[in-house]
Amino acid sequence: MPLTLRDNTATITGTLTVEEVEPLAGWLRSTDRPRVNLRGCTHLHTGALQLLLFFRPTVVSRPLDPFLSTHIMPLLGKRNKELEASS
Amino acid sequence: MNPLLAQFLAEADDLLSQVDEGLLRLEREPHDADLVNEVFRAAHTIKGSSGLFDFPELTRLTHAAEDLLDAVRGGRLELDATMTDDLLAAFDLMRGWLAHVTTTERLPSSANADGAVLIGRLRAPLGGQDSPAPAGHGPQAAPAPAATAPQWVGALGEEWLETTASWLEATSASLRFVRYTPEEDCYFRGEDPLHLLRQVPAAERFVPVTPAAWPQAAEYDEYACLLSFVLATRAATGELEYLFRYVPEQVEIADLGATALTRLLAGEAAAVAEAGIRLGDAEQAQDARALLEAALHVLSALPQEAAARAARVSSVERAVQSVARALGRDVEFPAHDAESVEAAARALLAALETAVVAEEAVPAPAEETVRSLAPAGPAEETAPAALHPADGAADGGKVGSRTLKVEQEKVDRLMELVGELNVAKNALTFLAASAEEEFGNRILGRRIKDQYAGMHRIAEELQAAVMDVRMLPLSVAFARFPRLVRDLGRKLGKSVELVTDGEDTMADKDVIEALGDPLVHLVRNSLDHGVEAPRVRVEAGKEATATIRLTAVSDGDAVVIEVADDGAGVDPERVKRKAYEKGLITEEQLETLPEAEAVNLLFLPGFSTAETVSDVSGRGVGMDAVKASVERLGGTVTMRSERGAGTVVRLRLPLSMAVTQVMVFSVAGQRFGVPVDAVVETVRVPAGEIGRVLRQEVIQLRGEVVPVVDLAGTLRMPWSPAGATRDVLVMWVGGQKVGLLVERFHREVDVILKPMEGLLADHPAFSGTALLGDGLVLLVLNMKEVLGVAAHAA
Amino acid sequence: MKTIMLVDDSATMLMSIKSVLVKAGYGVETASHGKEALTKITGGLRPDLIISDVNMPQMDGITFTREVRKTAGMRFTPILMLTTESEAGKRAEGKAAGATGWLVKPVQSDQLLGVIKQVVPGA
Repeated sequence: MPLTLRDNTATITGTLTVEEVEPLAGWLRSTDRPRVNLRGCTHLHTGALQLLLFFRPTVVSRPLDPFLSTHIMPLLGKRNKELEASS
Repeated sequence: MNPLLAQFLAEADDLLSQVDEGLLRLEREPHDADLVNEVFRAAHTIKGSSGLFDFPELTRLTHAAEDLLDAVRGGRLELDATMTDDLLAAFDLMRGWLAHVTTTERLPSSANADGAVLIGRLRAPLGGQDSPAPAGHGPQAAPAPAATAPQWVGALGEEWLETTASWLEATSASLRFVRYTPEEDCYFRGEDPLHLLRQVPAAERFVPVTPAAWPQAAEYDEYACLLSFVLATRAATGELEYLFRYVPEQVEIADLGATALTRLLAGEAAAVAEAGIRLGDAEQAQDARALLEAALHVLSALPQEAAARAARVSSVERAVQSVARALGRDVEFPAHDAESVEAAARALLAALETAVVAEEAVPAPAEETVRSLAPAGPAEETAPAALHPADGAADGGKVGSRTLKVEQEKVDRLMELVGELNVAKNALTFLAASAEEEFGNRILGRRIKDQYAGMHRIAEELQAAVMDVRMLPLSVAFARFPRLVRDLGRKLGKSVELVTDGEDTMADKDVIEALGDPLVHLVRNSLDHGVEAPRVRVEAGKEATATIRLTAVSDGDAVVIEVADDGAGVDPERVKRKAYEKGLITEEQLETLPEAEAVNLLFLPGFSTAETVSDVSGRGVGMDAVKASVERLGGTVTMRSERGAGTVVRLRLPLSMAVTQVMVFSVAGQRFGVPVDAVVETVRVPAGEIGRVLRQEVIQLRGEVVPVVDLAGTLRMPWSPAGATRDVLVMWVGGQKVGLLVERFHREVDVILKPMEGLLADHPAFSGTALLGDGLVLLVLNMKEVLGVAAHAA
Repeated sequence: MKTIMLVDDSATMLMSIKSVLVKAGYGVETASHGKEALTKITGGLRPDLIISDVNMPQMDGITFTREVRKTAGMRFTPILMLTTESEAGKRAEGKAAGATGWLVKPVQSDQLLGVIKQVVPGA
């Protein structure tokens, strides 16, 4: 499963498809101080990226994927620099 | 043959029949939109598939046909008889080509020339022009980077832009800058913008741009795409255009160098609106570029002569103007001379190469953008779709028939196996007998018999099922007639309507195939001899248009097919006289033969009633040939005719041809057959080894004593075996082995058994007759009875 | 394994594209017109990509696309229309109906595989 939802941490692995956008949105809406682990994520659907930009969860692990790491991570991590460093 | 090609050939064959049928119906109902569409689609499919193979002539010809049909479909042309002729001829030519492909896997060498002739004819109603060859794109000069950068480039960040500007400055290079603004509902077209953007080659920087104002959390719609993206890449404009080819209207591309970036950073808002062209459609841009380059080329080689020169310049001017309009720009020519036209073309080209946004400062309403960029003919393009919008609703829930195309050989192989199964199954009865007699085990014997009964039932069902696979509707045999009747009618100047009925009656494939020629002959006869010229019909008080009716009905295990016309009918007196003149009947018969029987004279070999031999049916093949081929199928032919009212020919054929495999041999010079199932082996023994037990001749076969029957003697035929050896056919008859003394063995053949008729009808020694390929009648023996007769005689 | 649904009334076209896809390791489902394809989808088939001809009997590709978009679970599935050179207008129509993009017949195999990778994440 690309998306594993726990109490306050969502782990995204592999390709997160558009079908998982809705459950992710529901989880983000209902979770206090959500954290997202992107380490194993290779791609996330635009809708999911937009969710991360809208709800601004704490990204707890930098993705290994070079594209996400280079181009997407800087945006997600803007407000979470200290957490990123601790991961 | 490569299976794909084989598939194409089979499919094309089906499609060509559809086209034929459709065109003929279309001639009668020229305004049936569904029909036009059906024919168009068939042609379209052939064209599409032909592109998979190296058959350029085929693709070109279907293309020409498709264009003509498209014009008809779009209501731009009215289909007339000449066009139908040309279309039919084109598809006939294709059929010929495909037959050639079937054997040689390539088109005939004449294809190009033959195709060109028809393409010319097909294109004539469209204005005679071949579809314009796509204008070549000359070598693309490296476009000059735009002088000013659009505002959105700023999203990449000041710091990065500064670094990049100085690097571009140092290297005199440029980068391509892209802004991609996906539509809000793009996910509902299966798009994933981020996935697409990952594929931008050589991206230097990539920045998702969030909306200026997000919606409230409660109203946030996770399926509305609110992001846009800006990126910079070293990839060429062409690569980017290709990548974004499905969303060109959402993408802006700008080629920018250090100067433009520096100006942007210096706060010089882009004054690009004047020169800018929004990249609408990559293809459109390419077309425009090609046209402009062609225009420049023409201008570079203008003729000296003043009038010609002026004409050329003015036509180029019009072309440049239309390109400008297509790009949503105005051009003005200070003077209508070569120089100003060239300047305008160059300006447009330069603008095209930069292809930057025009509406940055003053966003134009979306509709306007669409209008100025939309390809010229959207209205035309949508029209065809409107022809079948109700397809879905019209035929409620009917899913395509689940048919399987199977090669004939495979079915034949199945049939063979069924035959083998029958033989193997029959061995069980012998096994049962030997269980009882040799091993004295009656219970085992009975069980084997039970088993046999079960297998017998299954084998029979299997046989019936396989026979059923071979059943085809009569429509297959009728399919060629609409065309035949139309073409012959036109040729003979007769107006004929063909009515078919009962096309879905089923019959065995072999019957259907064998029916083809006799039916063609009968229909030709009707057209040629039966149906009168329109004027004659009107004078006789009939409708000018004659009717030929092809009807099929099933009748028990037979199918009855009638070819009926409402033509002149047969003149019995003339038939009799002709038969007499040809020496087919005596003078007495000429006087006494009843009129009703006179029509049967037509079936005599070598009869032809037409006064003149036309090229339609007078080829020396008469009704006798029809009769012979129908009888070979185990069928009968009868004819009724009424003078002035028409003629009906009725063929009665078995629904399936119960094919029997027969071993043929001769005795006393006469050929006989026995069913192969019964044959055990053929042996040749020295004449001296034929012994005698009581009064019965016998041979020893591997220690077994086998009685030998002299068939010639039994049937009282004058023949006595000569030579030093004897040929014996060993068979199983009634649970025992029996030898048959034979003069010579022939081969095994498949025949259709017919019951005995005439003198031998009640002769029990024969189970039936069959017509051999060479026209000889084969008598098939009923071996049980032969043995009885032999025993009686002995 | 990604599953691709091919819809075309030309058996030749189906065969040629299918062989390329199967060789490339995709699962392939075929249908000979929109209606048959739609029946498979309403029957529960969930391909990762649909490649459909435009001009087909029973139900054309545009109508089919529109219908697919109404099916739960198929609203976001990429759909590519198979078009010919001359069907540029159909492309726009297809996009309006919910198609993702198009392929131009005859389809070259490397081009086909490239486009699939382009429109199907994770393909």
